[in-house]
Amino acid sequence: MTKAQRRVIQAGALGIIALACFSEVKFRTLPGAIVPELSREWYLVLADLVPGSSFVLAGLIASSLRPRNRVGLLMIGVGVGLLTRNAVLQQRVGQMSVPAEVVLHFVSPLWAVLFLQLLLAFPGGQLVSRVDRAVVRSFYVVVPLAAILAVVVASYPLLGPMGQPVFDIKSPAGLIYFVCLVIGSGLVIRRWFVGGRARRRSMSPLLWPMVPITIFFVLSVAAVLGVLITPVPLVGLKNFLYSLATVFPLFLVALPVGFLVGLLRSGLDMSSVGDLVVKLSGGLAPERLQPALAEALHDPSLEVAYWLPAQEWFADLEGRRIEPPAGDSERAVSVLGDPSSPVAALVYDSALVHEGQLVDAAAAAVRLALENARLQVQLRAQLEEVRQSRARLVEAADSERQRVERDLHDGAQQQLVTLLLSMQVTKAEAMRHSDPETAMLVDANIATLRDALGELRELARGIHPTILTQAGLVPAIRSLTERCPIPVDVIGELGDVRLAPPLEAALYFVVSEAITNAVKHSKGRRMCVSLGRRSGLAIVEVSDDGVGGAELSLGSGLRGLTDRIAAVGGRLMVKSDHAGGTTIHAEVPCG
Amino acid sequence: MRVIIADDSVLFREGLARVLQGAGFDVVGQASNAEDLDRLMARESASLVILDIRMPPTQTDEGLVAAKRIRHQHPEMGVLLLSHHVESHHALELLGQSPERVGYLLKDRVGDLGEFLDAVRRVGNGGSAVDPLVVSQLLGRKRSLDLIEDLTDREKSVLALMAEGRSNDAIASTLKISPKTLEAHIGTIYSKLGLEPAGADHRRVLAVLNYLRSS
Repeated sequence: MTKAQRRVIQAGALGIIALACFSEVKFRTLPGAIVPELSREWYLVLADLVPGSSFVLAGLIASSLRPRNRVGLLMIGVGVGLLTRNAVLQQRVGQMSVPAEVVLHFVSPLWAVLFLQLLLAFPGGQLVSRVDRAVVRSFYVVVPLAAILAVVVASYPLLGPMGQPVFDIKSPAGLIYFVCLVIGSGLVIRRWFVGGRARRRSMSPLLWPMVPITIFFVLSVAAVLGVLITPVPLVGLKNFLYSLATVFPLFLVALPVGFLVGLLRSGLDMSSVGDLVVKLSGGLAPERLQPALAEALHDPSLEVAYWLPAQEWFADLEGRRIEPPAGDSERAVSVLGDPSSPVAALVYDSALVHEGQLVDAAAAAVRLALENARLQVQLRAQLEEVRQSRARLVEAADSERQRVERDLHDGAQQQLVTLLLSMQVTKAEAMRHSDPETAMLVDANIATLRDALGELRELARGIHPTILTQAGLVPAIRSLTERCPIPVDVIGELGDVRLAPPLEAALYFVVSEAITNAVKHSKGRRMCVSLGRRSGLAIVEVSDDGVGGAELSLGSGLRGLTDRIAAVGGRLMVKSDHAGGTTIHAEVPCG
Repeated sequence: MRVIIADDSVLFREGLARVLQGAGFDVVGQASNAEDLDRLMARESASLVILDIRMPPTQTDEGLVAAKRIRHQHPEMGVLLLSHHVESHHALELLGQSPERVGYLLKDRVGDLGEFLDAVRRVGNGGSAVDPLVVSQLLGRKRSLDLIEDLTDREKSVLALMAEGRSNDAIASTLKISPKTLEAHIGTIYSKLGLEPAGADHRRVLAVLNYLRSS
């Protein structure tokens, strides 16, 4: 909207107030008013003029304070609606004509629809939710249609004692109004509850004025329903409500004030950005950035997503990939920096959408800190990638070992055993033909072949023990200890559920290597393997009573084990001293 | 004796069948996996199944699973499980509570035909056969409190043969000692190890194996 357009609107709004005042004076001085003794009461004059005018004036203030926000215009609209309704009401007194009736009934509910739109669009000024938009649009059609319907099919007095249209649920139009009222209230309540803290904060000044208005509506509905269900009309209550209805508009004055306060409050104090800058100057750790921003923008749901140029995706502070929402009725997204290579994205409550300046200011303040944090995130993401690729490497090596073992088993071992069998047949043939020399020769070959098979078996076992895949970690460890030349006790358990194959392999090779080392170097007389499972960790500890002196840095065996365990996300610790022997402790997360 | 062979290598099956037939066994069927084996067993009546521990589809322990199932469903049938690797864990799992008509041997044992056929007959006739490698591993295993060390070499040999599932007669003739001497040895072994004397040959297999495996 240009400045000129705004001027026109401002002038028009002031003109309407003037016209309303003129109409009021004319109405109050009209000879033959409906209730002459009441018509000059000052509070009635105020009740006619104050609500509409206050909306218009507050709207004018709002639109000059927040020119880009449509809340000001909507407030002016509501005010103008209220004033027009009054003026038309006053002008038609004494002259009932169908066109005048239609205009009256057409105009009078319009302010309420504008009011609903205002409530739903507050404080941003736009109807963000698709449902809200659809409902408000349909109300602009349905409500005036209901007004025409009211005039056309009316067969009972349409007007109250003061000449105002009566909210009567018994009429078809009244029923439509009632349904609209319920739907509108539902949307407003929903908006309050689904909105974030930022939205509630700006909506809260409306709470107090809404209380008496709500009470009034509830009473009206109750009275109408009461009239409907009791045979004798509650004349007293009805009259009370009518008089309440006359002063009710005065309550409305609190609303424009509430809107104005709420609007200014949602224009989040720039001072909070100042606080943010102060915090930043003291140095803010990357993990404190998001909470600080959330506090400055009064939106605890705010999230920061860091752009990783190498991976071309957004990540959280841990370097894990996240997909920022596309921006919808609930969440809004601001991308910081050059769109082709952004620094980060802020994801926040859509109530802040119309506080672009503030979000921009806060984002500008944290921009440098965000860049730093992003570097850290980038590093973490790379680490995560390396960790995953290491895990994949180890897994690939494991499955390769398993494949080699399987090939040996299905190939060489099986063929040699088959050869043994056919040698037995050959030997039997030789015996049958009384050829003891050949039989002896075959026997010698059989012996060689059996030795070869024995060696092949040990080789296959070293590459990947079949018992590990067949029966699991504990039987495989027991099998290791059965072959160990020094006594090994196995204590504890790992539970009934088997660990994932990479974990089993990693722990198995730790025990295998630890036992081999102990036998070779420790001079110990006994060993102990203890197994345990607690707080999501599978723990294996191998200890001996030997001379100690084992170090992670010495010997590639222990070093390789550390890498193997780290690859599955666990850790390996070595405690080795001359007094207490060597203890190798491995733990892996097992879910 | 009617025998069924299950192994996924046709060459091995044929070779084994030939050797068994040469020794007077009646090979009534061959299967390449556990499903075929089930079908075969439903069709043919046999007194012994010789099967490989690794069979399709996963090539892990289908044979062991099948062997345990057969032992449960057909207790009258002998089951001899063959493997390229032997483990005490599998031996005890297969033997379960009743070590009758069951055997667990290295496949290489076909290299010593006499011993192999003896084991096959033993299992077919209601006895048990545990691979000497399993036994020697358990016997050679070091313990913190080792009563085995108190045994003489001769007593250790007797213990090993008992653990393999041999009968007293077989042990006596293998070690070339009189049955009376053997009984004396067995009595000493039991008292040195603190074992309850167990009656039949196959009963004591379990007692001895369990003793050897416990720490």
